[in-house]
Amino acid sequence: MAIVLDGSVLGLQLAVLGVGISLVFGLSGVLDLAYGAKVVAAAIVGSLVLAGGGPVLLGVAVTVGLAVVLSLGIDRTVLAPVYRRHGEARVVLSLLVTLAVAFVIDGVLVSRWPHAAFSLAVAGPPVDVLGVRMRGGSLLAAGLGLVALAATFLLLHTTRAGRAIRCVIQDEEGAQLCGIEPARVRTVVVVLSGALAGVVAVAQGLASSVAVADGFDLTILAVVVAVVGGLGRVAGAAVAGVVLGLVHALATATVGASATWVVLLLAAAVTIVLRPEGILGLGGRAPRRHTARWSRRIAGPDRTTDDDAADRAGEGRG
Amino acid sequence: MSLLDSAVTGAPLERREGLLRGYLPVVLAVLVLGLVPPLAGGSRYLVSVATLLVVLVTYGVAFNVVFGGTGQLLLCIGALAAVAAYTSALLSGELGWPLAITLPLGVALATTGGAALSWLAVRRRLDTIFVGVVTLTASLVVHNLLLGRRELTGGETGLVVQAGSGTALRDPVLGYYAVLALLAVGLAGHRAIQRSALGWAFRAIRDDAEAAALAGIDVARTKVLAAAVASALAGAAGSLYAHVEGFVSPTTFAFATVDVRVIVAVAFGGLGTLLGPVVGGVVVTLLDEVLRPLGQLRLAVYGAVLLVLFLAVPRGAVPAVGWSWHRATARWRGRGTSPAGGR
Repeated sequence: MAIVLDGSVLGLQLAVLGVGISLVFGLSGVLDLAYGAKVVAAAIVGSLVLAGGGPVLLGVAVTVGLAVVLSLGIDRTVLAPVYRRHGEARVVLSLLVTLAVAFVIDGVLVSRWPHAAFSLAVAGPPVDVLGVRMRGGSLLAAGLGLVALAATFLLLHTTRAGRAIRCVIQDEEGAQLCGIEPARVRTVVVVLSGALAGVVAVAQGLASSVAVADGFDLTILAVVVAVVGGLGRVAGAAVAGVVLGLVHALATATVGASATWVVLLLAAAVTIVLRPEGILGLGGRAPRRHTARWSRRIAGPDRTTDDDAADRAGEGRG
Repeated sequence: MSLLDSAVTGAPLERREGLLRGYLPVVLAVLVLGLVPPLAGGSRYLVSVATLLVVLVTYGVAFNVVFGGTGQLLLCIGALAAVAAYTSALLSGELGWPLAITLPLGVALATTGGAALSWLAVRRRLDTIFVGVVTLTASLVVHNLLLGRRELTGGETGLVVQAGSGTALRDPVLGYYAVLALLAVGLAGHRAIQRSALGWAFRAIRDDAEAAALAGIDVARTKVLAAAVASALAGAAGSLYAHVEGFVSPTTFAFATVDVRVIVAVAFGGLGTLLGPVVGGVVVTLLDEVLRPLGQLRLAVYGAVLLVLFLAVPRGAVPAVGWSWHRATARWRGRGTSPAGGR
């Protein structure tokens, strides 16, 4: 039981990370390698507010707000030339540009505040949950992750804006024909993804702490979770995050801390190889459809990407 | 088609242009890099920086063959190099096997690993990003195994490579020429591939794999072959570097140390071009050295410079230079074809 609870606390954070990066990729084909750096930047500035004697709620608000501003700022400036490209070129250039952005953010943080760390201590004794003693901070972090995920799903599935977002993710041109403006939808999604980065920062601060050097690891985790969930699939990323969190807790309990990462990464790799369409891609959805949909959206209608064509070539032979 | 165009686009020269002209860019690049030790004036530091540069460029050539050639985003170059290096170092160090056996054995292991990953990706028809993430997890697994199997690998403190001590490899200058010789083999091999039917197969797959398959190219086999060649080169470079340097640690081959720098160098130099990794590797290394006095702020400035470079020349420096050269000289060549239309 303790394993399940610990795993869920970590899993919910991974889920929020994965959803945040997956949303943007699903919409625009930009895989944001600066995501972890944004989380850390927001957290460190939050910690400065707290260190300056600011109230906790102000620190949290600054953290989330900064993540949003950073997200939108990067999207509007350096990513603008990336959006002018299409297909594979956009994917590759987005990787390079966001990697460079991550270097910039990490570099500034490391040089200005090399030892800063963001953590929100929660007072009070441990709470008994189903017979397991849990720290108040962990519970709050899990609750926060759950609320953020629920809010994202409600936004996507009950509001007009959410329907527009899902519409553009599915078929950008079709959405345009229905009078949806992809640029405005992108703004909403970038803000949402930034807010989720802020939530990760706060939740991480509650559960343990965020250090300056954590950006790179957070990005890798986010990418792994998003891909295991089937890139661009929000529900898949959420489930993948929780599952990987449980795997992590289970591995820690059985094989020890040093081998935990190996188990977690192998689990992720096996899932990707077995289910490239995502962890939820069951129920008669062939992987082909996923790839085809992707290449059409990214490459535009006039040409197919290598992999899509390779698929068909491979199928013909197999 | 001129020599420079060919070096830029990676297109094969026509037969009549001959062996000498075909390999001239390789010879020139290697000659220029070969001048470093005499010009360094006995500075051990400069030679060691140059050694690292040449190894980085060799990794770059490997990555260029597999990603620039066939579009497989193999993000485990460092891990493959680590597999070869640690295999050779451990077998020679613990069991006393001669280098002549353990070096090829390590390279063979890396080749098998890379080919297996590629085969898996081809069989499961993974997209670019998916191949990237699977190979990324593979490289993180290797990294964590190196850290975790402390009693064998020395964990993060690293491993002193006993094999090869006392041989010519440990002499800084001779060691430099050893890694440079491997780079020469790698560049010449890349050129040979570009000039051969295999090179046409690579370009066909990169442009349109379906059409390539219809034209009779075995897409799966070609992709796995590209990955195997790249893995062998990366493994050989890592292994050789370990024996020249006499010390390896997980950081030597970490994703952030090797793969990130390789991607940056190759992308900046020009993906798929023969000399792209050389130009990119030199620029990345120079940037690193020039920015060293900035201390902690180095990474931020480095990132900002890369950002500007990527946005200014998204296709890479070698094609950009080649095209401006082409345009500048078009007048003298009379009615020159535009580079895009020419090839």
